[in-house]
Amino acid sequence: MRVVIAEDLFLLREGLASLLKEHGFEIAGAVGDGPSLLRALIELRPDVAVVDVRLPPAHTDEGLRAALEARRQVPGLPVLILSTHVERLYARELLADQAGGVGYLLKDRVFTDEQFTDALRTVARGGTVMDPEVVAKLLARRASQSPVARLTDREREVLALIAEGRSNGAIAQRLVVSDKAVSKHCTSIFAKLDLPPSGDDNRRVLAVLAHLDS
Amino acid sequence: MDGMESVLNVLPQRLRAAGWAATLPLVMLVCTVYWGLRPWTVTAVLLAGVITLLAPAVAAGLAAIALIGFASCAFALCWRASTLPPGSGTAAGYPLHALVFGSGAPHAVDLTAGLVMLAFGTWLVPRTVGAHSGLARRNAELVNRVRRLTMTRRHAVDTAAAELRRVERDLHDGAQARLIALGISLRATERLIRTDPDAAVALVAESRENSARALVELRALVAGINPPVLAERGLGDALRALALDAPVATRTEIHLPRRAPEPVEAAAYFAVAEALANAAKHAGARHAHIRATYSAGALRIEVTDDGVGGADPARGTGLRGVERRLATFDGVLAVSSPLGGPTIIVIEVPCALSSQKISSC
Repeated sequence: MRVVIAEDLFLLREGLASLLKEHGFEIAGAVGDGPSLLRALIELRPDVAVVDVRLPPAHTDEGLRAALEARRQVPGLPVLILSTHVERLYARELLADQAGGVGYLLKDRVFTDEQFTDALRTVARGGTVMDPEVVAKLLARRASQSPVARLTDREREVLALIAEGRSNGAIAQRLVVSDKAVSKHCTSIFAKLDLPPSGDDNRRVLAVLAHLDS
Repeated sequence: MDGMESVLNVLPQRLRAAGWAATLPLVMLVCTVYWGLRPWTVTAVLLAGVITLLAPAVAAGLAAIALIGFASCAFALCWRASTLPPGSGTAAGYPLHALVFGSGAPHAVDLTAGLVMLAFGTWLVPRTVGAHSGLARRNAELVNRVRRLTMTRRHAVDTAAAELRRVERDLHDGAQARLIALGISLRATERLIRTDPDAAVALVAESRENSARALVELRALVAGINPPVLAERGLGDALRALALDAPVATRTEIHLPRRAPEPVEAAAYFAVAEALANAAKHAGARHAHIRATYSAGALRIEVTDDGVGGADPARGTGLRGVERRLATFDGVLAVSSPLGGPTIIVIEVPCALSSQKISSC
């Protein structure tokens, strides 16, 4: 799997590259600023890109802007955005095209490398991955309001994991329950939130995120 | 030496302030020409000079009185024996003239001098009075301004110092302590890695946990100093992000064509954050609305909520702090919050916007 890495700090860039190589990814390119990221994404067409939000030259949100621009030119180009902080505003911009192939994670998540590389593979497959902190913000806001308030605690836990972009299998493993129990919770959640049930994992994530963000 | 220097520094300023009041020594000089060089005329001229320098307003007043006196003197002399009813012009001028010259017949020189003086005095008096009341007003304004600047500067310095102390303490108790713990457990891991691999693995997990916590703490610290969206996108998007994260459902209406100076943006951002926090915490509001505009050289943000009202900047420290921070930029905070609500908080900060356009607006 070919990856482009965009990170301006040399140590982090090298660290990410060696971590990914260890997990069998091929580094197609490693860049350190916004304009070269856009060029790399368009020319190299990687299977997935890992992009730091803040990049030179202005050290604002060049990475995010370059990724969004690349996805305008190449719809669905898989991009995993990393940042030291996560914002609902940016999540909304990333999800706006509903095309999937998007991830948005805190840089801290790189520490647990399996989780990080799983997320990267999900994004490369066209899936959607959201940082637990974004999901927590979404849920905190809706906690007191229906219809999320009608969910049981366990159902809310499952909902959060769905919103983070995890599959039924991953959710079952995380909560130490059976796959069947998870899919039962899912059916109940989708009914309570009045969402159409969906077998497609990505469409399921997008539907839940859209519901929580509305 | 210092005293001399300060007099030299003040002198030009005093002279400029004297302005119209300098008419007094001028009038006295004319008197000297008229009456000749005598000890009392010289004294009068010198005295006039001193008064002009020390108390320009008094000098201006005296000059005006002297001019009117001269004019009416001359007039009285000219018209004394004519058809005007007695006392009309005489009242002010004639006794003075009589006192100085004794009574005598009117003279053509008196008439001419009187008419010139009268014209000059009529022209001069309103100007003198106007200029001096203007100067006094301006002076009072400047004194107020200096007082205000001294106060806001002290607040700004105090706030910055308190903020730095907080950052120092947070770093010291947080990230620094965690890095030390990290170093210690890495050293322990190094010792245990061959003899007790299981314990070493547990220590490594602990270290990772510690570094993750340090990151969380640093993130919170950074958000309190300079919110990341503000740094990355400017005030408009930072307010949008704030609205999204607010515990109260908040709508935004933002019309900011360009970016304001960074310190102004930060002050405005924290003002809105405080208003939204109050809406949720104290007013129990369900909805809030942020409206940000820029017009007539000022940034104006209005935060409205449908809570129970009763917010008072004089009581809470939060809004008071916001007010002080805004005052550093000559900004103001206005609160309308009747019991029962709604609460409307308006901040206005005069500032210039940068020439750089915001692409996302």
